[in-house]
Amino acid sequence: MTLQQQIRANRWKTLLVVVSFAVLIVVFAAASAVFVGRAGAIGLLAFGAAYGLFAWWNAGRLVGGLTHAQPLEKRDDPELYRLIENVSIAAGLPATPPIYLIDDPAPNAFAAGSRPSSIYVGVTSGLRKLMPERELEAVLAHEISHIRNKDVRLMTLAAVLVGVIAIISDFAFRMAFFGGRGGGRDRNPLQLIAAIVAILLAPLAAVLLQMALSRRREYLADASAAAILNDPEAMALALRRLQLDTSEVQYADRATAHLFIESPTRAVRGSGAFLAGLFQTHPSLQARIEVLQEAGGFELPALPPGAPED
Amino acid sequence: MTWLWIVIAIVVVLLLVVVYLFNKVVRLRNEVNTGWSNIDVQLKRRNDLIPNLVETVKGYAAHERGVFEAVTNARAAMARASSPAEAGAADRLLGQALGRLFAVAEAYPDLKASQNFLQLQSELTDTEDKISAARRYYNATVLAYNNAIQTFPTLLFAGMFGFAAREFFAADEGDRAPVDVSFQPSA
Repeated sequence: MTLQQQIRANRWKTLLVVVSFAVLIVVFAAASAVFVGRAGAIGLLAFGAAYGLFAWWNAGRLVGGLTHAQPLEKRDDPELYRLIENVSIAAGLPATPPIYLIDDPAPNAFAAGSRPSSIYVGVTSGLRKLMPERELEAVLAHEISHIRNKDVRLMTLAAVLVGVIAIISDFAFRMAFFGGRGGGRDRNPLQLIAAIVAILLAPLAAVLLQMALSRRREYLADASAAAILNDPEAMALALRRLQLDTSEVQYADRATAHLFIESPTRAVRGSGAFLAGLFQTHPSLQARIEVLQEAGGFELPALPPGAPED
Repeated sequence: MTWLWIVIAIVVVLLLVVVYLFNKVVRLRNEVNTGWSNIDVQLKRRNDLIPNLVETVKGYAAHERGVFEAVTNARAAMARASSPAEAGAADRLLGQALGRLFAVAEAYPDLKASQNFLQLQSELTDTEDKISAARRYYNATVLAYNNAIQTFPTLLFAGMFGFAAREFFAADEGDRAPVDVSFQPSA
């Protein structure tokens, strides 16, 4: 599959995901109506919509706060800005996004934001120190690809929708079991069980959707970065360097994990088992390196014995 | 009567397909134009840097006339270039001339230590990098556009609407050969 075909396929998947989310939210609202009545369900939906809009509008700032990212001026690190400017030009972005620095020794990077004016690239100080220029450029190209392929926008949307479902679910439970006008007593028990299952499963399904989305996009961003720089080996070398490093980003958790270039925490990295696989935001670094090796027709030296594979 | 409707339906579907393809080609052509203006911005920036650079080097090495002439001529050729292929050829000449200029500068320690010269040199290097980045994007858009108008079925009406193939902006010899990045995600 070529890059262009993959981007096109991705657009359909994006639509599919947005529609799935919409269906999920409607099913969910219908289910909660059993507990909180029709007016309650409409109220919850309205509250969820308001919360979602607020989160969408402020997504960049929220992520910046969660990861402790500070804006970096061009004069503070002209070299890094030179790289990101070149990469943005090669990717055909209309403007170069600003860089935010995270003071953390673990090497990692992410792109965040929702509106075009609020999108930025976050880089840890560890990444800046660890990576030679060629690999640093590849990591920046990976993040710029996420921006150009509209991954950042979609992932932010997915995160906001997951948040909306989670918060509505939380409220529905509180309203149903502590006061509220819960009219559940005269309902069919089967209907009640179905409603409980729906309310329990909706947030879970939302998270799974978000993660499946994230994993596919990592391969695409790797391939885009390789194409932008015309250098698949640089991307593979950068991933290999991340593979050999085992430190974790301090201010990263499940809420922000899907944004990073590699899974930022051990808990999120998990093991290779099927169930853990479902909950991973990223494919293993080894799998990503192998895809790049195949595309570029080169081979990195083997891993030293005992090194982690993901 | 049914036959009439079938014919009308076929015509409408064909028209929709042509409209869709037409819009697609126009979009690709616009991307090529954007790509070229990105290169143009950087070429202009470099063109503005060169007179300063020549003046600075002249201040220390006024007698190296041949080198200055080569740079000035190449810069003029660059300004005259009217097509991407011509610009590419002029770009190569200019690159060689600038290479000679910097080689000459090596022989003058005072010049090499001059803050002004170092500043110009780093700006020029930056511009060269950006030209090469813009070229990668431009050539990718040209490839997509040319492929679109030279393949079936767009091929059938591309000429009629005046869609002509575009030129690539030639790459330096030092550039890495293009790689075809295709991949199959395994997850």
